[in-house]
Amino acid sequence: MLYVFGNTYGFSGLLVRMIPLLLTAVAVALPSRMGLINVGGEGQLYMGAWLATAGALGLADQPAVVLLPVLTVLGFVGGGLWALIAGLLRALRLVNETISTLLLNYVAPMIVGFFIFGPWRSPESASYPQSPAFVDAARLPGFLHTRVNAGLLYALVCLALYHLLMTRTRWGLEMQAIGGNPEAARQLGIPLFRYILVVMFAAGGIAGIAGMVEVTAIQGRLVSELSPGYGFIGFLVSWLAGGGAAGIVAMSFLFAVISSIGDILQITQGLPFAVVDILMAVMLFIVLGRRPAGRAR
Amino acid sequence: MARIPVLLAAWAALGLFAAGPAAAQDKPALTVGAIYVGSVNDYGYNRAMKDGLEEMKKAIPGLTLIEAENVPETAESERIMEGMIQQGAKLIFATSFGHQQFAFNLAKTHPDVAFEHAGGWMQAANFGNFFGATQTAWYPMGVAAGKMTRSNTLGFVVGVPIGYAIGNVNAFEMGARSVNPQAVTRVVVTGGWADKAKEAAAANALIDQGADVVTMHVDSPSTIIQVAEQRSAYSIGFQSIEARQLAPNGWLTGLGFTWGPFMTATARAVIAGTFKPAMVRQGLGQGMMGVAPFGKAVPADVRELVTASADKVAKGFNPFTGPVTDNTGAIRIKEGESWGGADMGKFDWYVEGVIGKAK
Amino acid sequence: MSAALIAGVIASSISSGTSLIYATLGEIVGERAGIVNLGLEGIMLVGAATGFAVTARTGDPDVGLAAAALAGAGVNLIFAWLVVGRRANQLATGLCLMFFGAGLSALIGRPFVGTLITGLPRLRLPGLGAGAAARLASYDILVYLAAPTAVLVWWLLFRTRWGLVVRAVGEDPAVAYAAGRRPAAAQYQALALAGLLGGVAGAHLSLALTLTWAEGMTAGRGFIAIALVIFARWNPLWAIAGALLFGGAEALQLQLQAAGADVSPFLMSMIPYLLTFVVLILWGWNRQSAAPAALGRTWFGVE
Repeated sequence: MLYVFGNTYGFSGLLVRMIPLLLTAVAVALPSRMGLINVGGEGQLYMGAWLATAGALGLADQPAVVLLPVLTVLGFVGGGLWALIAGLLRALRLVNETISTLLLNYVAPMIVGFFIFGPWRSPESASYPQSPAFVDAARLPGFLHTRVNAGLLYALVCLALYHLLMTRTRWGLEMQAIGGNPEAARQLGIPLFRYILVVMFAAGGIAGIAGMVEVTAIQGRLVSELSPGYGFIGFLVSWLAGGGAAGIVAMSFLFAVISSIGDILQITQGLPFAVVDILMAVMLFIVLGRRPAGRAR
Repeated sequence: MARIPVLLAAWAALGLFAAGPAAAQDKPALTVGAIYVGSVNDYGYNRAMKDGLEEMKKAIPGLTLIEAENVPETAESERIMEGMIQQGAKLIFATSFGHQQFAFNLAKTHPDVAFEHAGGWMQAANFGNFFGATQTAWYPMGVAAGKMTRSNTLGFVVGVPIGYAIGNVNAFEMGARSVNPQAVTRVVVTGGWADKAKEAAAANALIDQGADVVTMHVDSPSTIIQVAEQRSAYSIGFQSIEARQLAPNGWLTGLGFTWGPFMTATARAVIAGTFKPAMVRQGLGQGMMGVAPFGKAVPADVRELVTASADKVAKGFNPFTGPVTDNTGAIRIKEGESWGGADMGKFDWYVEGVIGKAK
Repeated sequence: MSAALIAGVIASSISSGTSLIYATLGEIVGERAGIVNLGLEGIMLVGAATGFAVTARTGDPDVGLAAAALAGAGVNLIFAWLVVGRRANQLATGLCLMFFGAGLSALIGRPFVGTLITGLPRLRLPGLGAGAAARLASYDILVYLAAPTAVLVWWLLFRTRWGLVVRAVGEDPAVAYAAGRRPAAAQYQALALAGLLGGVAGAHLSLALTLTWAEGMTAGRGFIAIALVIFARWNPLWAIAGALLFGGAEALQLQLQAAGADVSPFLMSMIPYLLTFVVLILWGWNRQSAAPAALGRTWFGVE
């Protein structure tokens, strides 16, 4: 425990764990305000990582000051387009976004796999499926020799923007109107179709940035295993937080603490890491079961 | 949200419980940490690593071994290794390829800890790399298969088509051809090192296509060997020689890693302060690889042939000596040239006689 | 396209499709009662681990199978209590259940990884020789029971009073309540059955298909089953077609490789998912939603 909180290294470890969770949680929270359910954080993360890799490999001779913003945008666009597929299908009333985002989660890693085995196979390590290592200019820097990387900035900016959007702008209001009563919103003239597309794109984009952070800051290349379920945990974080920005920070922190303790338990007690899943789930079961929600209470 | 303090309190309690036993202990001669990508009960890669580490532990009294199984090849592994270092580990074995980058990161921030990684290429002042040179060792396996097959079709399940795996297939086919010019090897790629359902389907597919000897390069040979046994096909194991227990009837032989001597030597070096990391690749006859015992199905003359072939390899025979043609007819290794250990990762073509696409 | 290849693909698709059939049937029952269970993956894992563990311990795969079914039902009842009894959000609880199942199965299975078991015996239809043709006629009992189970579930849902109540609850719980039914009871029962089938689906993987246990071995099949429910338009009989199609597409790429065809394993693995998408889009185009009207909505009760 002391290890986790009692020194800067441990604490910075917590922050590093939080970064992808903050991002994927916003990726869920944003559409949820409109009543859209995005369980596709995993796939959007992978596609953001994929497009960012395309940029990192293709523009390897650019300086960091050019490359990093470009990669950020590519990460956003990659995840955004992926979510847009589901958004379009939903807006056209063809397929429910819960199912389509779920299915797309499986297709994304296959696309990544195809590329790292094929066109992007690293020559130096033809011995393993991964892209070549990114040049230094494509690596997201850390702060002050800690492991915390600039991804934290992205996460905080996204959170702030999300918060401002929902609480201070007309768009946020209209989104919540749609979420409350889509028919009424439509009759008030709110363009549902456009909102679904834009919001899904933005949500996917934010998850895509999480993917970009994974490959530029953590891995330094595109690999086949990028996420231990960040997309799903983000869903749980967002749901527990009730969709509010402050709650997302608190819950992400909590999950980061849980997974840290899980690591320690694994090493000291020899328990499989999967036990963390149980404990986390039981904890959430307790929360879910505490007060039956009801209108007439 | 009253739930947060309650939840945090519960986790704090758990955390204290977790941290408790990690306190005062007798100072061991050396604390060694090891991470496995899967379970040590896989009759395969991880089991071989575990056996090696146990050998090391037995050989050095006072050595403490901390292990973690099912460590994924993500940043998670870095955290787990970090935890082991916090527990006093001074030598860390990162036993799976995908742990490389993360072990390397830690090597940079912990110059006083020695790291040994299996199967990669990175090196540093406190970071060494080791693996068995498997490719040439597959040649005698091919000899066994070529002699025992009646359908002249051999089956090879590959997890991930990396250069080293392709090289294994090539040596296997060449060994088979050397005793049976009609032998062909069919290859099926599952796409992952440990996808059991796919491995079962792949083994079935190969046997459907006529293979009566099945072998593999995946993390755990158990599923494939069991399918082969179920369908009365012969099997040749890989990674751990213990896999022979799975196929009492169909087992021919196999290749296993014998990491014990290397790990013991490394641990001793760390204790003595003489640890010098290097890129270590050892083939048959050099300590890291061994041929598994023969199954009851293998007659004496075949055993002799295979053993003789293994000896030849141990003494330096390199099947990858030109001219070598690929399965499209093009010459890949010219007359007079040969591909050595450093070239083994470069394979992106299959030799003549292999049915499959390498790219 | 040799006979061996075709026979191999059919045999493989039947083998790997079986677990999908049971899982899809289970989910159909639950969704007909109005409950979406995103945690089906977790239920299947618990079934696979429990089945394997009990078989390893007792030496009897039938006992293991029964244990797997009961374990699946048991865990799904926890889910039922949360979403029906405590009116929790179905999606969040479902995802939670997925994590719970993953963790629980890892714990249950851990001491038994690597144990050799005799799995469910293969029953060979008499009169066929060896090779690929024989494989078409030699499966474990769960495969043979898959189609009959689908028919049974269809009959339960569409030809019994119980099924009528369940479906009514799924369409409009308030109306069902007004008619004197107890929606909660129906939903509990449906979810118990769903858990049973999900546990069997998982057990097929560990007791028949691979004869092993490994963490996470369902590899997303639980989610695929959820999509197949829509594919099947919530009709148990169509579930067979969907599962076979999906299992077949999966098996096809491996069989093609073994036959020496020039295919990229990654592009081929996408086919089942893309196929599912195409069908879902076609169904959506049809504009007629076959989904139970109250699916996913928590019924708060009439006060």
